[in-house]
Amino acid sequence: MKKYINKYVYTTLIIVVVAVSSCTTNDLDPTLNQQKEEKEAFQKVSDLESLLKGGYNRMSAAGYYGRDYLVTDEVRTPNVFSNGNSGRFTTQAAFEQLPSGIYIWDNAYGVIAVANAIIGVDATNLEGSQEQASHIQGQAYLMRAIAHFDLLKTYGQQYVGGDLGVPYIKEFKGSDDIPARESVSSNVEDIMSDLQTAFDLMDAGSFDSGLISSKEFMSEFTAKAFESRVAIQFGMWEVARDAAKMVIDSGEYSIIDGVDYVGSFDQDGTNNSIFEIAQSSTDYPGSDRIDFIYRGATYGDIEVLPLVEDLYQGDDVRADILGYEGEQLRNMGKFPNIPANIIIIRYEEVILNYAEALFELGDTAEAINWLNEVPEHRNADLYSSVTKENILLERRKEFIFEGLYYWDLLRNGMDIEKVSPLQNISETIPYGDYRLAYPIPLDELDANSNMEPNPGYGT
Amino acid sequence: MKNKLHGILTLLLAFVVQISFAQEMTITGTVVDEQGLPLPGVNVIVDGTSRGVQTDFDGNYSIDASRGETLAFSYVGFQTQEITVEASDILDIALKVDAAALDEVVVMGYVSKRREDLTGSAVQVDAEELQQTPMATVDQALQGKVAGLQISQSSGTPGSTQDIRIRGISSINAGNDPLYVIDGVPIINDNTAESNPGEELGTSSLSALASLNSNDIASITVLKDASATASYGARGANGVIVITTKSGESGKASFNVSSYYGFTNNAIDGPNPLTAAHKEILHYEGIKNTYGLGSVDEARTFEVENLGDSGGFIAWNESGRPEANWKDVIVNQDAPIQEHTISSTGGGDDHNFYASLGYYDQEATVIASSFDRISGSLNFSKKLNENLEFSTSNTASHSFQDGLLEGSAYFSSPHTARYFMSPLDLPYNDDGSINLNTGVPNPLYVAENDIDESKLTRILTNNSLNWNTPIENLVFTTRFSIDYQVYDYKTYNNRVLGDGDDTNGFGYNFNRTSATYVFQNSLDYALDFGDHSFDFTVLQEYQKYRRHLIEAEGDNFAVDGLSELAVSGNPTLASTAFTDWAVASYLGTVSYNFNNRYVLNGTYRREGNSRFAADNRWGDFWSVGAAWNLHREVFLDGSDFVNNLKLRASYGKTGNANIDINQYQTLFSYDEDYAGTGAAYPPEYGNSALTWETSYTFDAGVDFGLFGNRLTGSLAYYRRESNDLLLDVPLSMTTGFSSQFRNIGKMENSGIEAELDVSIVRSEDFNLSLGANVGTVRNEVLEVSTDASGAEVPVTNIDASGSTQRSAAGTMVNEWFMPTWAGVDTETGVDTWYVNGVDGETTTDYGQAERVYQEASALPTISGGLNFHVDFKGFFLDASGYYAGGHKVYESWHLYLNQSNAYTSRIYNGYDVLMDRWQEPGDVTRVTKPIFGGEPWRYNSKFLHEGDFFRLRNVTVGYDLQSKALEAVGLQSARLFVRGTNLYTWVKDDDLLHDPEIDATGFTSITTPPVKSVVLGVNLKL
Repeated sequence: MKKYINKYVYTTLIIVVVAVSSCTTNDLDPTLNQQKEEKEAFQKVSDLESLLKGGYNRMSAAGYYGRDYLVTDEVRTPNVFSNGNSGRFTTQAAFEQLPSGIYIWDNAYGVIAVANAIIGVDATNLEGSQEQASHIQGQAYLMRAIAHFDLLKTYGQQYVGGDLGVPYIKEFKGSDDIPARESVSSNVEDIMSDLQTAFDLMDAGSFDSGLISSKEFMSEFTAKAFESRVAIQFGMWEVARDAAKMVIDSGEYSIIDGVDYVGSFDQDGTNNSIFEIAQSSTDYPGSDRIDFIYRGATYGDIEVLPLVEDLYQGDDVRADILGYEGEQLRNMGKFPNIPANIIIIRYEEVILNYAEALFELGDTAEAINWLNEVPEHRNADLYSSVTKENILLERRKEFIFEGLYYWDLLRNGMDIEKVSPLQNISETIPYGDYRLAYPIPLDELDANSNMEPNPGYGT
Repeated sequence: MKNKLHGILTLLLAFVVQISFAQEMTITGTVVDEQGLPLPGVNVIVDGTSRGVQTDFDGNYSIDASRGETLAFSYVGFQTQEITVEASDILDIALKVDAAALDEVVVMGYVSKRREDLTGSAVQVDAEELQQTPMATVDQALQGKVAGLQISQSSGTPGSTQDIRIRGISSINAGNDPLYVIDGVPIINDNTAESNPGEELGTSSLSALASLNSNDIASITVLKDASATASYGARGANGVIVITTKSGESGKASFNVSSYYGFTNNAIDGPNPLTAAHKEILHYEGIKNTYGLGSVDEARTFEVENLGDSGGFIAWNESGRPEANWKDVIVNQDAPIQEHTISSTGGGDDHNFYASLGYYDQEATVIASSFDRISGSLNFSKKLNENLEFSTSNTASHSFQDGLLEGSAYFSSPHTARYFMSPLDLPYNDDGSINLNTGVPNPLYVAENDIDESKLTRILTNNSLNWNTPIENLVFTTRFSIDYQVYDYKTYNNRVLGDGDDTNGFGYNFNRTSATYVFQNSLDYALDFGDHSFDFTVLQEYQKYRRHLIEAEGDNFAVDGLSELAVSGNPTLASTAFTDWAVASYLGTVSYNFNNRYVLNGTYRREGNSRFAADNRWGDFWSVGAAWNLHREVFLDGSDFVNNLKLRASYGKTGNANIDINQYQTLFSYDEDYAGTGAAYPPEYGNSALTWETSYTFDAGVDFGLFGNRLTGSLAYYRRESNDLLLDVPLSMTTGFSSQFRNIGKMENSGIEAELDVSIVRSEDFNLSLGANVGTVRNEVLEVSTDASGAEVPVTNIDASGSTQRSAAGTMVNEWFMPTWAGVDTETGVDTWYVNGVDGETTTDYGQAERVYQEASALPTISGGLNFHVDFKGFFLDASGYYAGGHKVYESWHLYLNQSNAYTSRIYNGYDVLMDRWQEPGDVTRVTKPIFGGEPWRYNSKFLHEGDFFRLRNVTVGYDLQSKALEAVGLQSARLFVRGTNLYTWVKDDDLLHDPEIDATGFTSITTPPVKSVVLGVNLKL
């Protein structure tokens, strides 16, 4: 009898264990505990805000504004050189970049992808303040413009005698996934159009309404400040003048005082800052942080050329940015440490953009006043006349180590001069040399048959 | 699934309690040959089960069996005898010589098969061979033992992972690692030192296999062709490694002690660093060349006037030219290695057990690194009643690896310092204290004050219940297995010197708990009538992997000497994550045997994987195989010459789903932040159409045994075509993504494998044998993806530095791709390259040289092993070697260590071969003239070297105590031996300065190289 009972027990057992271990398709769905599927990712305006911060985060990467973009631009000028202490930035400084490198190509388009994802969301379906949604999408347009502007400057052929710009991407996961390069002028038009849209979408007195909580996010005046920067780069003087004037007239900003100048780079949200990338003691690019490359023994590759000391006369407070580590002349004051934010655009630039635009438009009387606004706040000698040379000299002194000088040289058709044996270049690189446009990355050329390479880099 | 688990456990418990013990007995006896001489090592197996033992030195055995079960006695060169258990519990057997039989039983995971019934390619390596290599991970013992299996170590740091490739590479972007099966259950054995799969921590790798004690392993079977691997369906495409642990032998408890102790050193010396005097010469020549000066004296003056003491040589000369030898500073000469295992086996009529306790300890050949493991195992089997048997095998171990930050060129890794540290920097100050002002952080201080350690606790439990159902020959088995791993990683960088000095100390802790559950139910049915016999198996399996991790990081430590994050003043990271995956399968196999002459078998497996969308989740896999045992035919029966001759062929479809989880979904991630708040981003493109990568493998071969099985071997041909590759298709980066997984592309691997073993002398007192195996791989990519315009998009290997490996139609997978070096210009002393990449016109402008395929990849096209054995009256000598060739390897770090530039002469240090630099027109050399500045990375064929090497893997000499002596000391067996590993290495290419045995990516490394060791050991059985 027991034998039969056992049989039933066993048979039941078999049925049970087979049943519990047999699985249907749904049992194989993976768990998502720290990610969301696209269709569930956007319910509220605040979800859009999280994605916007994803865009800022990508801008802050070491491969972009976190370090590489600013330092690469700087190390290609006769301000600094790379001593190769950690093997970094010697290639960039020697203009020996190869198409196997990617540089900011992926970072900038990564920012653009996020911006397009935000722009592509129909915000009216989202729960939350529509005004805030509009402000977020305005920032996305601005991000898209800035990233394309950086790409155009870096990879476009405007300084090497060509007309090709970069693909201007306006859609997230759009239908054309192998876009061709557009012309430089078409790029500039798109950038200006995006800057205008950005301004319009954010034009809600964002400071007063509290939509902007800090300089770590962009405002409508960031759009205008960038507009003046883009316009200066491409010689659109009236646009530059008008955009700069709107920033000046906003009354939101002021030139930092001389006594505060050096210290201002160690402070976040100072009154001259228009937009800065957030850095904190818990959120920074590790050892790829920007202060490591300018000083210290860990990396410390970027040294200042001795001739820079001669730029500053008398009691110019900006000389105090410089300092010595042993025998090495260093940038000690800008990007001084980790918690300090990285300033991307500040009011002094808008002032000098304004002065330059006025000068180019023939209003030299106004131009000299605005030009002298800056040295006046730096304990430096004032200029007695306004000339292109004076404007560029003042910009070099004011924005040294901030990555602007390189673009000042190029937009004025100037050479990259060999002035010191310490420089990484062996001889002067004349304006128009193919190396003044970065190579389109090979990985891009391989994946995109419509992409045209820049000349001079072989195949 | 959790509820299901509870259900099962409850059922099992209720079940165990309820059932009374049934009649079972322990059969003992002696196995002898026709002359009455005892036969040691005879396999005794209970037919239709995986229970089996081997006879001891005197031919004695003991095994549990029930009345009515059949015992099969098998031994190489003898006829297998099958005896049904009846009343008597003593069965003495005399085996007849049958040169025609190679009746070894091959364990294939789900099933075991007699070798005669195999239609595919499987190689079994037994315990004794596995013991020949004193290593932390058991897979290292497979090197050179299996034709077509290539293995290389990623690092010589003890416990680190191996790269194993079976019959080449089946996939471009999905994994190429074989599947591991332990006691019938698929097991995940990845590198545990990863934060996420594929994302290595900076530390040394740690193989999950390092948690197993090789002494507990009875055999490893490598399954290569479709008919052998199709049972594992989806995951079998890269081959399967089946590990079987030792099971108990009933009888009086016996004890085994095995122990060895020895020393290790780097297997090869590697390149020598430059001396300070050499560096000085190169430095001033560099200034002379760069600034166009007339002489070295002018260069010295120019330096003072324009460059300062740029290389530190002015100060060095002033202080009397003191010189450091960092190679000697960082080495751990004669690093000790030891392993001790004690095990016991025994049992009664209805049960048996195997238990062991093991300890392994090895120091690395550089300072501050070691590995140790303590492990225990308990395997137990009990007949619950006449028809019901419960078996459990359990292993628990704790491994500790004092690792190194060697995932990249971390300056604080001692081996990095050996090459990167300038000899101008002295290790110690005049007062004997450690010099903290060195160019690269002084490894002496870092080793003492930094922490980098991994701990892995692993519990593997495998429990099964076997029921001989009332239907004759129908056996039901249910199995439940858990692989539970707790991995704990801790790194701490001190506040004073090294990677942590800028943040006033840095600490990172990482803890991962993972559990893999496997549920299996199977029915086996055997049917015999006349000459026809059938075996059927149906099986269902569900496997679930769950992983939870928690990590934290902080800097700004309050004091020196305390490394816990509680001491960190600034916590910078706190994160947890949970991920899982699951695989469900249904399997059916059938095997038909006619009169032992003809064998046919078929396998079908349907498998679903959580890595694919619901609509594409399931795949169908199958195989068919046939074998013809010619020696069973009348025309060969009784032949003195041909003892074994089998023709076999198989064809089948297997799959690969070995990609990261969640790739099919379009997801947003939230693990980034900006301005102190969380940020979202799209991490992957997503592709809901993603499904299985499949491979079709054809395999045909002949197995033979000639001249009384003195000459045995096999010859096989295989061809595997992989389709619908899980290709990480490069995208235009303008999309914001660099790639997207798609099922596109085709690849083919084909080759020939041969194995030959010769027993030159075979007698009681004197044996001499030689063996060799060789396998070839010919790999060709047949198709990759195209972009929207139809242009081919070659796939660059993202794991290879500098985009130096790519795949396109007609190339090898990850074929080396770079400009071809044309030598150093004898007139100017600079590198030149071929403009067209092949021949003719040369250029000194790297950018103008076309990149071309270099007609070789990092995958050896030929590999093989050699084995030699001789014994005489108890003395024995074993030797084995491994050869791999036909591939090329790339010298990593050459920009910083092997080019005459600022990095080697001024900033770091270089290899002494740089002294062969070009100096004046007419010089023919491969080293360019020194320059003062840096250079960009110029990957080119100058640093692509032939990878061929031969390594004397193992030499063992020893003595087995003879019977009389054993009786005198009361032991069953005793062995004393001295074993040398990696004693000799031959490298074909003189320009290949580093150890040729490197990971599968093909880049030489400056991590700890493989080691050679000499150990003294003893094995005792009492």
